[in-house]
Amino acid sequence: MSLKNVLSAAVLAAALLSAQAALAMEPAAMVKLLSTIDDRQRNGGDYKALAYMEQKEKDKTDTVREAFIYRRDADDKLMILFSRPKAEAGKGYLRLDKNLWSYDPNVGKWERRTERERIAGTDSRRADFDQSRLAEEYDPTFEGEAKLGKYAANLLTLKAKQGVDVAYPVIKLWVDKDSTNILKREEYALSGRKMRTLLYPRWKKLFSESKGADVWFPEEIRIYDEVEKANSTTILIKSIDLRSLEANLFTKAWLESKSR
Amino acid sequence: MLQLFLIAFRNLGTHRRRTLLLGGAIAGVTALLVILMGLSTGMEETMLRSATTLSTGHVNVGGFYKVSAGQAAPIVTGYPKILEQVRKDVPELDFIVHRGRGYAKVVSEAGSMQLGVGGIDVASEPGFRQVIQVREGTLDGLAEPNTVLLFEKQAKRLEVKVGDTVTMAAPTMRGTSNTVDLRVVAIAANIGLMSDFNVYVPAGTLRSLYQLREDTTGAIYLYLKDVKQVPEVQARLRKTLTEAGHEVMDNDPRAFFFKFEVVNREAWTGQKLDLTNWEDEISFINWTLTALKGLTGILIFVLLIIICVGIMNTLWIAIRERTREIGTLRAIGMQRTRVLAMFVFEALTLGFLGTLTGALVGLGVCLAVNAAGVSVPEVVAVFIMSEKLNLAVHPNSVVGAMLFITACTTAISLIPSFLAARLKPVTAMHHIG
Repeated sequence: MSLKNVLSAAVLAAALLSAQAALAMEPAAMVKLLSTIDDRQRNGGDYKALAYMEQKEKDKTDTVREAFIYRRDADDKLMILFSRPKAEAGKGYLRLDKNLWSYDPNVGKWERRTERERIAGTDSRRADFDQSRLAEEYDPTFEGEAKLGKYAANLLTLKAKQGVDVAYPVIKLWVDKDSTNILKREEYALSGRKMRTLLYPRWKKLFSESKGADVWFPEEIRIYDEVEKANSTTILIKSIDLRSLEANLFTKAWLESKSR
Repeated sequence: MLQLFLIAFRNLGTHRRRTLLLGGAIAGVTALLVILMGLSTGMEETMLRSATTLSTGHVNVGGFYKVSAGQAAPIVTGYPKILEQVRKDVPELDFIVHRGRGYAKVVSEAGSMQLGVGGIDVASEPGFRQVIQVREGTLDGLAEPNTVLLFEKQAKRLEVKVGDTVTMAAPTMRGTSNTVDLRVVAIAANIGLMSDFNVYVPAGTLRSLYQLREDTTGAIYLYLKDVKQVPEVQARLRKTLTEAGHEVMDNDPRAFFFKFEVVNREAWTGQKLDLTNWEDEISFINWTLTALKGLTGILIFVLLIIICVGIMNTLWIAIRERTREIGTLRAIGMQRTRVLAMFVFEALTLGFLGTLTGALVGLGVCLAVNAAGVSVPEVVAVFIMSEKLNLAVHPNSVVGAMLFITACTTAISLIPSFLAARLKPVTAMHHIG
C-alpha cells in the first residue's frame, strides 16, 4: 500500500470516527431519554387495560388469555386479573409492597411468587405490564444509530445499576429517533446469553386527565424466547381507561370476590 | 405320634387325586405369596436404595435462604462449619456428602425440560456410583466444570447424546436470569421417578448458575452406619445446631420441594436450617409402597380364604367317606383327641408339603426373573425407580410364608376334625354313604 493510500485511509477513518463521536449521545442525554421513555408511559393516576395474551409453545396448542390489568402508579400497585378462557377466569396476580402474589380460585389460595417469574406460564413478565423504570434501574451506554426497517433508531445498551434486582442485567434498546418510542428490546442473562427479544410495532397515545398530558402505551408487544426459539408470546393491549379505580381494588379480597 | 403321621401320609397317598389338587392349590398360593413378597420387598429395596442415594441421605441438614420474603432458595450458607460440627456431633456417621439443589430449564436444539438439578462432587460420592448405571460416556466427566449427567429418557426427549451441549437457564437467588452451557458427559440408565425430574451437574457449575458463594451448598446428606439411629441423630442435631446459633425450622416431614409454598408465605428473611430424614424426603413414594403392600395383603387374604374353604370342604368329604372307619377306630378304643389329631395331622402334613413345594417354586421363579433381567413397563418403572424387575427373597420371609399358610390350613382343619371326633362310635359305624 502506498503512502498516499495509507494517508487517505487514515483521513477517512478519522472522519468516520469524528462523525460517530458527533452523533454519540452524552450520558446525561441518555438518562434523560430513558426518563422520557418512562415518563411518557406513566400516568400518575390509575390505569386499567384489557389485554390479550397469545402464547405459542413448541409441541403445544396455542393458548389465548384475556386479562384486565389494573395499575395505580402513585402507590406502585399492580393487579392482573384473568377473565378468559373459562379455566383461567378468576386467577390473578397482585403486587403489594414489592411482593407479587398469585391467586388461584380453584384452590382458593394465595401464593407469594418471585417478582420476575413468568406470568401465567407465558414469556411475559410482571415488568411487561408494570410501570417503566428504565432510568431508575439501568445505566445506559450509547451504541450508535441503527435502522429498523424504515425507522431510524438510537441503540442503547443498559446495564443494571449496582444493588438493583432486575430479571435481565443487560438490555439493548432501540429507541425511535422521531417518536422516542421503544421499537425493539433485547434482554440478556448474566452469562451474556440473549434471553428475550421484544418488538413494539405499534404505540398509541391517550390524554390523561390525572397527568394533564398524553400517556403512551404499546398496543402490541411481541415477545420471542431466544433460548427456546419456538416459543413466543404476543400481547395486545386494548381499551385503556385512565379514570380513577375503586379505592379498595388492590386488595386480596377484591380479587377473590371476582371469582365468586 | 409317629403312627398318626403315618396314617396321615397313608390317607394322603390313598386319595392321591384329592391330595394333589389341594396340595397344588396350597403350593400355588404359597408360591404366589413368595413371589408377591419378593416383588414388594424388591420394589421397596430398589426404591429406597435409589432414593436414599440420589435424593436424600439418612439424615439431611438442608434449609432455605430468603433474600426477600418472596424469594426462597433451597441453600445452606457457610456449610463447611456446619459440616465440621456435624462430623463432631454424629459419631454414628458412615459417610457424609453435600449437594447443591436447584430447579432449572434444560434446553437443547430439539426441546426443553424443567428439571431438578443436583450439584455433586462426583469424586466424593461413593453411593452414587453404585446406583447410577452409565449407558454412554463416563461419570468421571462430571469432575470437569460445565458438564451434565442426563438419564436416557431425558436424553431421548432432548435429542442429545454424549458430547452435545445443552443450555441450563434459571433465575438466581435475586431473580436475575442466568444461563450456563453444559456438555453432556454421561447418559445413565433410567431409575424411575428419579430420572424423570433429576439431572446432575458439578457443584461448582450449579453455584455459578445461581451466583452462589463457594461456602454454599444445597444440603448436607448424612449416611449412618445403622439406619435405626436416624431419630436419635436427628434429635441430637436439632439440639446442637440450635445451640450453635443456627435457626432451625419446625419439623415438617415432607420433601424440601413441597415446603416452598409454606416458606414463601412466611415473612422472615435470612437463613433457616431444616432437618429431615430419608423418610421425609421420599414421603411421596410411601403411598406407592403402602398401596403395594395393601394390594399384596388383599390378594393373599382372598386366596387364603379360597384355600381354607377348599381344605375344610375336602376334609368334610374325607370325614364323610371315612365315618365308618372313625366309628371302628373309636369302637376299638381310640380317644376323641386322637381322632382330632389324626385329621389335624393330615391337614398339617398336606399344608407343610404343599407350602414347601410352593416356596421352592416361588423361589425358583424369583431367581429366574432376576437372572432374566425382566424389564417393566414405563409406568411401573416410574414408581419402582428401576427399569428392571428385582425380586428380593429373604429366607425369613419364605419360612414365614410357609409357616403362615400351614398354620392357616391346619387351623381351618380343626372344625371338621372336631366334628369327626365328636361322632359316637355306634352312629359312625352305622353310617351309610
